[in-house]
Amino acid sequence: MTVKALYDYEFPSADRAEVFGDDQLVYVHWRGNPLFCSAACFRVPKNMPFAEFVTSMLHGWAASDPDFDPASVTDWRLFDEQLSGGQDKSLADLGIGHKALLSFAA
Amino acid sequence: MSVPTKKAASKPARKLPLKERYALLTRDLDWEPGYVDREQLFPHTRYEGIKIHDWDGWQDPFRLTVDAYYKYQVEKDKRLYAVLDGFAQSQGHLSLSDASYLNAIKLFIQGVTPLEYAAHRHFAYLARHLEGPAPRFAALCQSVDELRHCQTQIHTISNYNKYYGGFHSWSKMHDRVWYLSVPKSLFDDAMTAGPFEFLISISFSFEYLLTNLLFVPFMSGASFNGDMPTMSFGFSAQSDESRHMTLGLEAIKFLLEQDEGNVPIIQDWIDKWFWRAYRMSALVAGMMDYMLPKPVMSWREAFELYFEEQMLGGLFPDLEYYGIQPPRHVNDAIAEKDHLSHQVYKILHNFSFAAAFTTKTPDEAHMAWLAEQYPDSFDQVYRPVWEKHRKIEADGGRVFFQGLPQLCQVCQVPMAFTEPGNSAQISFRRSTFRDETFHTCSDGCQWIFEREPEKYVQAWLPVHQIYRGNCGGPTVPDVLAWYGIQEGDNGEYTGSPDQLAWAAWHSDGDDKAV
Ligand SMILES: [Fe+2]
Ligand SMILES: [Fe+2]
Ligand SMILES: [Zn+2]
Repeated sequence: MTVKALYDYEFPSADRAEVFGDDQLVYVHWRGNPLFCSAACFRVPKNMPFAEFVTSMLHGWAASDPDFDPASVTDWRLFDEQLSGGQDKSLADLGIGHKALLSFAA
Repeated sequence: MSVPTKKAASKPARKLPLKERYALLTRDLDWEPGYVDREQLFPHTRYEGIKIHDWDGWQDPFRLTVDAYYKYQVEKDKRLYAVLDGFAQSQGHLSLSDASYLNAIKLFIQGVTPLEYAAHRHFAYLARHLEGPAPRFAALCQSVDELRHCQTQIHTISNYNKYYGGFHSWSKMHDRVWYLSVPKSLFDDAMTAGPFEFLISISFSFEYLLTNLLFVPFMSGASFNGDMPTMSFGFSAQSDESRHMTLGLEAIKFLLEQDEGNVPIIQDWIDKWFWRAYRMSALVAGMMDYMLPKPVMSWREAFELYFEEQMLGGLFPDLEYYGIQPPRHVNDAIAEKDHLSHQVYKILHNFSFAAAFTTKTPDEAHMAWLAEQYPDSFDQVYRPVWEKHRKIEADGGRVFFQGLPQLCQVCQVPMAFTEPGNSAQISFRRSTFRDETFHTCSDGCQWIFEREPEKYVQAWLPVHQIYRGNCGGPTVPDVLAWYGIQEGDNGEYTGSPDQLAWAAWHSDGDDKAV
């Protein structure tokens, strides 16, 4: 169904990929940790290596829980699938696109 | 030029019977257009697909005239302002249950009062654009009511602004701050719909179906916690609200009776607006269970009484006669009644560093009350999390979410809700539209998104806007400054300026100054 209107209803999406240039939005959910109410949202360069994303973005956020141990981060998933590929690859190379949802356990 | 003098003292005007007087002052003032056709005069009443065959079929149960309306409202204002003056002069704020109670009222003036103003604007639009004189006049009265509600709420609550944080920039905050985008975007959604959808969204779903869960809890919270002014405001709005509820019910019955083809359209709107308003009520649920030092009733109890018993048990069986079913996702709402308030207060507690109110971890007595109210969920799921917070706080810490949350594209609440029937699993819903991914928090929000994706892709999501650089700058202090949040409005309640001032005002020492 489309929006009923008195004119052609045609507007761009507010947060479409091009608005962020070489960056993109990525969400990260810590599975099974109820201290965090929800997943977090990050703005990151598409070609940032995954390992760098984890240390520079994720660690700071996850440390909101004083029990967080960076060494224990494991079992990464991209949406519902196991994340496959080396951590040295970039987000783009791993297929992590704009507004992708990542999750991990720790 | 001389003004013709009136004929001296003619006989006194005959006092008309109420019904006749009403007819002359309202319907009789309507006219058939002569030099344009009806479609030109009323251009907005056809495109939504609703068919009206007889606008005179709209009953107006109140038979109110403008002069009677104003006379009555003036009386109510006088009574309200007398209470406000008395409360201010006697330093009534010192007899509240606790300063932390005012967090609920901060949420109210930031989240609800601007909606009164938005309602005023849009009912003025309906007063112009509905075709029948009776619904136009009802919309006009409601428009004036809503402006009065906005004004009296500002006056009622302004007294607290002299003594407490968080009350100063509510209008700016409503337009900018992340949690306030929840109510703001709901009203924006309604105001950008057609006039009939607006009637179903605001008059029916908001003011009739869910008013006891959206509006009334603040007023009962006020009366339990010594907030005479807010309680008096509630009384002063009560007769207006009963008129608004009647308008909501009248509107839906009128639309359903006019044409059978209207039924599926109305059903769709009920399905959509029940879930929209219900999702917004999540903020009220968190307020009811966690922000009131003296709680009135739990969210769960209110939901069961006002929604399950009165609406599902009472109203919907009546609407079935017209072919209307209970709202589409109502069972998901029922399934999460043991969880909603806890999940929402967790959001507020995680993020109150960026809010114009404060939060705190519930103490032992409060947790005992919550356990009693939620025997199937509190001790099992939520107590362990609060106990972890207490332990961290005992060691001098305080958990805040060091980042920004993922938001639902439709309701704009952080994605904190769990799957119906599984409180350990966050509910993630994903849609793709024009090759872009969109996230929603529930089947209800996803259904709403997929019904009109062209509308919701435009959502002003506060988190994404911060990342786009539209909210004052990249750092937390930049964004807080842009929000209008001042140091001490936000964060943890314990040790906050409000809490310290309250403690000083209530200490037995000599410096009991105000
Ligand atoms: Fe109102
Ligand atoms: Fe109202
Ligand atoms: Zn949602």
